[in-house]
Amino acid sequence: MRVYSASSEEALRARNLLKEWASEGFLSEAQYQRMEQETVCELRRTNIFLRLVLFLFTLIIVGAAVGLFFVVFLSHPPAQTSGVFLLIFAAISYGAAEFAVSQARLYRYGIEEALAVCSVGFLCAGMQLAFFSGSHYSPTPDAAEFLIPAAGAIVSLWIWRRFGLPYAFLAAMIFVLFLPGYWTSSHSAQHLIVAAFYAAGLTSVAAVRSRHRFDFLNDGYSLVEAFLWLGLYLSINLQLSSLNFTGEWWVATRALTEFPKSFYWATWMLIWCLPPTVLARGVRRKDRFVIAVGAIVAVLTFVTNKPYLGWQRHTWDPMLLGALLIGVALFIRRWFASGPGETRHGFTAQRLSGKDKQWMNAGSAAFGLVSPHSITPSPQSGSPDVRFGGGDSGGGGATSDF
Amino acid sequence: MTILTRLEQWKEHGVISPEQHAHLAGLSRGEPFSLFLELSVLLFAGVLAFVAGLGWTVSTWSQQLGDVLVLTILSAILAACFWYCFSRAPTWSPAETPSPSLIFDYVLYLGSLTWSVELAYVENRFRVLSGQWDLYLLATAGLFFFLAYRFDNRFALSLALSSLAGWFGLTISHWPSHQDAAYRQYAILYGLVVGVAGALLKRRGLKSHFFGTYLNIAANVVFWAVLSGVFNQQTDGVWFLALLAACGASFAWGLARRQFAFVAYAAVYGYVGVSSIFLRHVTEETAVLSYFVLSGIAMLIVLVRIARRFRREA
Repeated sequence: MRVYSASSEEALRARNLLKEWASEGFLSEAQYQRMEQETVCELRRTNIFLRLVLFLFTLIIVGAAVGLFFVVFLSHPPAQTSGVFLLIFAAISYGAAEFAVSQARLYRYGIEEALAVCSVGFLCAGMQLAFFSGSHYSPTPDAAEFLIPAAGAIVSLWIWRRFGLPYAFLAAMIFVLFLPGYWTSSHSAQHLIVAAFYAAGLTSVAAVRSRHRFDFLNDGYSLVEAFLWLGLYLSINLQLSSLNFTGEWWVATRALTEFPKSFYWATWMLIWCLPPTVLARGVRRKDRFVIAVGAIVAVLTFVTNKPYLGWQRHTWDPMLLGALLIGVALFIRRWFASGPGETRHGFTAQRLSGKDKQWMNAGSAAFGLVSPHSITPSPQSGSPDVRFGGGDSGGGGATSDF
Repeated sequence: MTILTRLEQWKEHGVISPEQHAHLAGLSRGEPFSLFLELSVLLFAGVLAFVAGLGWTVSTWSQQLGDVLVLTILSAILAACFWYCFSRAPTWSPAETPSPSLIFDYVLYLGSLTWSVELAYVENRFRVLSGQWDLYLLATAGLFFFLAYRFDNRFALSLALSSLAGWFGLTISHWPSHQDAAYRQYAILYGLVVGVAGALLKRRGLKSHFFGTYLNIAANVVFWAVLSGVFNQQTDGVWFLALLAACGASFAWGLARRQFAFVAYAAVYGYVGVSSIFLRHVTEETAVLSYFVLSGIAMLIVLVRIARRFRREA
């Protein structure tokens, strides 16, 4: 099913590990050269920057070429005709992606990825125009229109399996979000259906990935499992999935009356149960992505607990959360440090990989540029009515000037 | 063949020693499993949430709490952070110095952000410098530069560079007219100052590993400024020439130093600028779409050739 051979991908993984170990000094130059020769791989790769730029330019070319086709050969065509041609372009894009891999041996090169992405986009747009463009707008959409997100999800899943692109799996999860809207108008049922899809995905991935613990597929399955846990949590957390970004959420006045009480409180229970479950699974499997998602959903549970309970938020809540996060990090670090060899149960707080340092360097430079503007008050102009403080406590201080 | 099988073979063939095999096989299996990155992110998020809450609380409840209490709390946090950093820091060295502990960088970050909150509070309450925020930003940039070089800290360096950018921007905002053009020119000046300063400091061997941060920020600021000049239809071709020069320099630097981010900058910024010039007076759909197809293919060919060349050299 996979477009790349297992031996090629395993060789690529080995080459990456060898490079990392050599840069860390675990291998001598002579050893590295010798071992690298034994992991030769015919796949053609490039670095992340060129990959992104190649992806971008491929999207431009494909989009413009399709647009040009319509302008030159089809002047104001009926929607159905446009849809049929878009479906043909979807097939051509997918075929080109397969060709780029089989003939040019491209691997995470940007070009074949953009072609695969275009095929999904053209498929959905083509189906919409070819089969459903005649229907006028209605608050209750045509039930058969669910075929569009369903097809998007299925093809995205196929691309994930075929090309191993993790963001294709994420796209499939996003397509699933649109499915229940065509089947039921009940918000509770919609949440349950999405959660059921993600739970089914989790069960399948968990069953499959146990066979790939130490091979090249493990990282991919790890990421997918992390996506699914995060998706499951977000579909269950009604405060997040019903989020109104205009500010109602912050002052905890949003009435989630569209949900039955029993369902609402069941989801509240679940948002407290999921983080320890995810963290426990991540720790047990030593799975970095799942641990990260466990930490993220734990923080989200703390952040959304007060709105869930209808309690008033306070301006010092972020301080308490920050103190908690710092405290937890320090406690874990000290606990590891006090163990034999600064290790406990196979875990350590020491840096073992040069990659960690690279990530930290890039992250600290990027976040250092952004964070002061997001957390420190912006300077006011010389307006005489500028005041400091005096926030309306009923509004959590959100209306105050600095 | 998994990496574990390969390691076993390499051990049997004498390529690696049994000790190396045990170590590398352990790393492959995640034994031990390092949580360094996760704990670092947790600390960073904690500091950020704490200071956000601090700033929010201070701005909301300042009248109820009173100036003395607010300033005492902020000064206490500030003093504690800087005391910790100065007492625990290793002897200064112009070379890259590892952080003495996992939390050291985050204590310094907390102190730096608390300084920003306190400064904003003092000026808003007491108007010490009569609203001259640009002077505060300049002083803050100076402090953050000092902290960055004293403690070898990229957080502080980024804060310093963003404060310096804020100073440039605020200084121009006081000017009465021609703001767009002034912003553009001062953005280029900022980019050049940052780039040249980074290069000089690298040349003198002062924390030369910071150079990449300087250069990336300088390149992006200069490209944005030049692009805004190219987009302005009232300007002449000087900005277009400036864009070509910037792209050429970035491209050459990226290829020579194998820093592909600069090749990507040259490709993307250059393409956007050149396209805006070519398509400025073109309204026909066919011509526009043909341009994108042909220019896109040309860019793709060039980039693939570059990628192949570096693949061969690697």
